Amino acid sequence: MRISQAYLALYNALQACGWAAVLGSLLYGAFTQPPEQLYLAAGYLTKLVQGASLLETLHAASGLVPSSPLMTLMQWMGRSNVLFCILDPQPQLHASPWSALMLGTWAAAEVIRYPQYAAATLGACPAWLTWLRYTMFIPLYPVGVVAEMALMAAALPYLAVRKPYSLEMPNAFNWAFSYHRFIQIVLAVYPFLWWQLYSSLLRSRSKKLKLAPPKDSSKSQ
Amino acid sequence: MKLEVLSRSGNIIATLDVNPDAPVAELKKKFYGLKKKYYPARQRFTLPLKPGEKRGTVLDDSKRLSDYGLADGGKVEFKDLGPQIGYSTVFFWEYFGPLVVYPLFFVLPKYLYPHLEAPKQRHLVQKVAVAYWCFHYAKRIVETFTVHKFGHATMPIFNLFKNCAYYWGYAAYVSYFVNHPKYTPPNEKMSMICLGLALLMQLGNLRSHIILSNLRKPGEKDYKIPRGFLFNFVTCANYTFEIWGWLLFSAAVQSIPAYLFAITGALQMTQWAIAKHKRLIKTFDGKEGRPKYPRRWIIFPPLL
Repeated sequence: MRISQAYLALYNALQACGWAAVLGSLLYGAFTQPPEQLYLAAGYLTKLVQGASLLETLHAASGLVPSSPLMTLMQWMGRSNVLFCILDPQPQLHASPWSALMLGTWAAAEVIRYPQYAAATLGACPAWLTWLRYTMFIPLYPVGVVAEMALMAAALPYLAVRKPYSLEMPNAFNWAFSYHRFIQIVLAVYPFLWWQLYSSLLRSRSKKLKLAPPKDSSKSQ
Repeated sequence: MKLEVLSRSGNIIATLDVNPDAPVAELKKKFYGLKKKYYPARQRFTLPLKPGEKRGTVLDDSKRLSDYGLADGGKVEFKDLGPQIGYSTVFFWEYFGPLVVYPLFFVLPKYLYPHLEAPKQRHLVQKVAVAYWCFHYAKRIVETFTVHKFGHATMPIFNLFKNCAYYWGYAAYVSYFVNHPKYTPPNEKMSMICLGLALLMQLGNLRSHIILSNLRKPGEKDYKIPRGFLFNFVTCANYTFEIWGWLLFSAAVQSIPAYLFAITGALQMTQWAIAKHKRLIKTFDGKEGRPKYPRRWIIFPPLL
């Protein structure tokens, strides 16, 4: 086995364990604790695995994996923005059902995706795991994106008042940045960006599961 | 001879009767006669894939069908490139926007910064910046119609909207802050020196464009090795001057959006430059009497 293969298998296995722990603590918390405590239960672990997943951009940039580094970075930034800049700093959102839903769908998807990557890297991925990875995203991703958008929308009043990560004129950079306005724009484009990801996964699904190709009405004659 | 025209999925769309010595343009004319929707600029024909090929050989308008080995019963593959628009048209509109949009913030602060008190006097750097910006885009429009020789006549119409969004958007973004009532000007002498140097870069860029334009004689379609001026050291010397021009402009106005604009442009130009450099090295390999492409920087010494 090449060392790059071993490294990738190890990385994916560790991420799989991390997200399994997130899912586990969410489920345990759901049964034993009041809803406000769910973020306390799973939040730290989620931040850890999500932060670590920035490595995947390096994997793509170095050619270790065939993904586009730009796409990988943008997906990481999207999730990290919601987790680190929106949800984490606002305790009043921690008790929201959207918070639990978002963490739950993320964990449920990752706990399938990372083991599939690890197994595929080792050339030992069973057909049922490939099927799971390319099927479970179908319900999980739409729920996830709705939860992310709901959290961002719920955060807007707080952002308008507290103005975090923002810069006002005049300043030496001759620039102004309103994080509140930025999140409003993000909310407007989020569905389109999400659809690009989702539809490309649907196309991958047809190929990977060797189904009949989807009817492509945009194909030229 | 009879040629079969296939779709990308392998179905026969049409059978055309053409002269083997006719140029590809003739094939396109005949196809257009049959399928009125696909005017010639929208048509792309390729030879069927040979083993190991990922992309079929594209048929060039000026070459003859026989040059590609096409004989009676031969097959060609058709692709619809979508609605097309002329290169010059796109270039004009994408450059016209910044020419108009940027000065708006300079001239109409009362309307564009409605909640702020309009500035009583403009700083020198703001005045020179608007002049520099407008000169830059006026130069680009003039070059479009008098200097540039485009390799292709048309591009997909979607590019018109994409390119205009980029240029017009950034023009507004940069201008909004440089002409802001609360703009903080940097050291005036430094700004003037930077803008002066930026102007020199623009002249270097212009000279580079003229050199590139003179590489091919009318009708020639082959790649040439650019020579002279900065091209002796850098493959895409025109981009070098352009990047330096925007970096100096940004240094002169000291505004983050200007730097963002410079960096975004540099990244795109770098992508193009790497492709061009690779193409030239591959074409001029020193074999069979062809010259060998000299060792040169790609776009931005000493980095790349």
